[in-house]
Amino acid sequence: MRKVFITGLGFISSIGNDKAAVEANLRGLRHGFELYPPFQRPEIPVKVMGTIKEFAVSSVDAEDWTFPARYSIRRELLRSMAPHGLYAHCAMLQAIEDARLAEGDLQSDLTGLYCASAGSPMVLTYYLQRMRDLGVSRCSPVGVVASISGTLNFNLVAAFKIRGHSCGFSSACASTGHALGFAYDDIAVGRQERMIVVGAEDGNTEAVLPFAGMRALSSATNPDLASRPFDIGRDGFVGTGGATVLVLESEESVARRAVTPYAELAGWGQASDGYNVAISHPEGLGLASAMQRALRSSGLTPAQVDYINAHATSTSIGDASEVKAIRSVFGPEAGRVAVSSTKALTGHGLSMATALETGLCALAMRGGFTPGCAGLRHVDPMFGDLNLPRDTLPVGPRVLLNNASGFGGANVSLVMRAVGG
Amino acid sequence: MVRATVVPGLSPADETILREALKRCSPATLEAALAYRRTGAVAAIPTVVLGVIERFVDPEHRERLRSGNTDLRVIEDLGVDSLTMLEVVMLVEESLKVSIKNEELRELRTLADINLFIEARVCGRPVPAPPRHLPAEAVQEALPMQAPFLFVQEATVGPAAATGRYQVAGTEFFLQGHFKNNPVLPASIMLEALGQLAVLFLLRSGAPELEQAVDPAAVFFTGCEGVRCHRVVKPGETLALSVRPKRIKAPLATFEGTVKVGGEKAAFAEEITLTFGYVAAVAVAGSVPATASAPVSS
Repeated sequence: MRKVFITGLGFISSIGNDKAAVEANLRGLRHGFELYPPFQRPEIPVKVMGTIKEFAVSSVDAEDWTFPARYSIRRELLRSMAPHGLYAHCAMLQAIEDARLAEGDLQSDLTGLYCASAGSPMVLTYYLQRMRDLGVSRCSPVGVVASISGTLNFNLVAAFKIRGHSCGFSSACASTGHALGFAYDDIAVGRQERMIVVGAEDGNTEAVLPFAGMRALSSATNPDLASRPFDIGRDGFVGTGGATVLVLESEESVARRAVTPYAELAGWGQASDGYNVAISHPEGLGLASAMQRALRSSGLTPAQVDYINAHATSTSIGDASEVKAIRSVFGPEAGRVAVSSTKALTGHGLSMATALETGLCALAMRGGFTPGCAGLRHVDPMFGDLNLPRDTLPVGPRVLLNNASGFGGANVSLVMRAVGG
Repeated sequence: MVRATVVPGLSPADETILREALKRCSPATLEAALAYRRTGAVAAIPTVVLGVIERFVDPEHRERLRSGNTDLRVIEDLGVDSLTMLEVVMLVEESLKVSIKNEELRELRTLADINLFIEARVCGRPVPAPPRHLPAEAVQEALPMQAPFLFVQEATVGPAAATGRYQVAGTEFFLQGHFKNNPVLPASIMLEALGQLAVLFLLRSGAPELEQAVDPAAVFFTGCEGVRCHRVVKPGETLALSVRPKRIKAPLATFEGTVKVGGEKAAFAEEITLTFGYVAAVAVAGSVPATASAPVSS
């Protein structure tokens, strides 16, 4: 099995639209939440969102959008994008530049692309309504590819002329965990030299508000107090959109191109709860199994792990079952290993979440710091035995676990190791 | 003034929808569409078609579009893909209240094709029989002339005219000597290309004046009149060829021919006359083969 490294990152996120801004806000524990204007109506029980700045993409007509002038995108490409397609395209350009990929590296049958998003409920709703009102002949020929789940891979594979493996992953909030895991496998066993993994979400009313129907969103009105994993006052997650792109490469490719990786993706594991369509297993059964498999796949033990980037979304049930899973895997080590959830800063990016958090972990490993628990004021006594650092630690993790859990009880855990660690 | 048989009309609500639909087109496009909808004036149609296409093509192609050359092919020359062509058609349909079926759309290649089609449709005239596009392989299969003396690379043949193209590669054998250190396409070759397109017309048009299938081995050049050249043609440039039959009565067919390059007239022939025979009864005329056309000084 070949080693796999992370060599490029791109971000359009609530805490910054490039890696420098993202790293500064991550280290400084500055969140990206605002009162989201479309939510400020009395009948909407949710007020706060992890907003994307500098982009105005609320129109269903892509030609109305405004975005930073450093991105120049032809109409022929833009017309088939949902808002998160634009975010992903911009993050992709960043990641390609960051990894210093030449055209021949990118457009090779040994370079693939795995994506995950929920599709675009906004664009889909618009087209279906137009079809009902005006007839299908008056619907755009690109309405389908702009809206359905898979829109990310359709657009990016064509726009960036990807010729290796490509597909989309659909396991809700574990989607990019799966995408990264299978991308790791493709490189480790030698099927691909390089995989680009993309997570993105619209992060607008249509994509986020339906979660209020299952009472999963925080009703907080103060952006500073809305997302607080492990806090006694946590009352649900804060939604967000944007995009994260990661470039994964084999050790041979890293050596040949003489690039410095952010970190090694050292292995992964997955397991399912077999329990409930939307509620995580109360004992964290599937997630515990995923973490054990991840450690086994990378040949590491709990004693070697010094940080867990928790899935913890700031919901009452979800955070509790994840802590039980951590205890069952780590035993006496559970109180030593540092645990935080960066969703306290970014919000919950749904399908994008694991890509975003893997990107944040890569920045922390290379930057030599461990993100603290932003927003944590009063630790839930249930979690009193955990090491939940309030502030950013000035030492980067040598080995970390990055957890993800999605609907249906799908769980993924990724292992990352510092370069030379 | 030619008017549509049914004036589409324009209620205030229609006008609001039309203004919204054309908001990214030039003001002239909107004015032309409003005029057509109010009066049915067919003369407004080309402005609407041009304005809608302009709205969808990449900025680098807009200048070519504004040149007034209606021989431009929407897909090949303007970089429009078939999805964008659908967007063009949907917006033209919405603006002018016409409908274009998928199978009709496939035959509409140039701006002129689209304009003629829509004008015929709104005036209640029979829509011209769709011209047939012959890609390079089909041209090679039809014509007796072959490389290195084939000067039609692709063609579109209808019952009343044929158009074709030839791009001067620069590697043609005769350019080595025409002229020394200054390759210029011989005018005789432009005339030859028009002659070859006229032969293709006889073989593939199915024009009503042709009673039977024409024998490709029995078509020869007899003469030409009123040939004028206007411009030299250099390697890399593309001849846009067109021929139109003036008289067809076996065994003679007389055509008018035009060669344009980048929208500029390069050569014109008032009359090119061929003799032909039908497959069933091969007429053997003692004429000069078409490939031996008389040189025309450039």
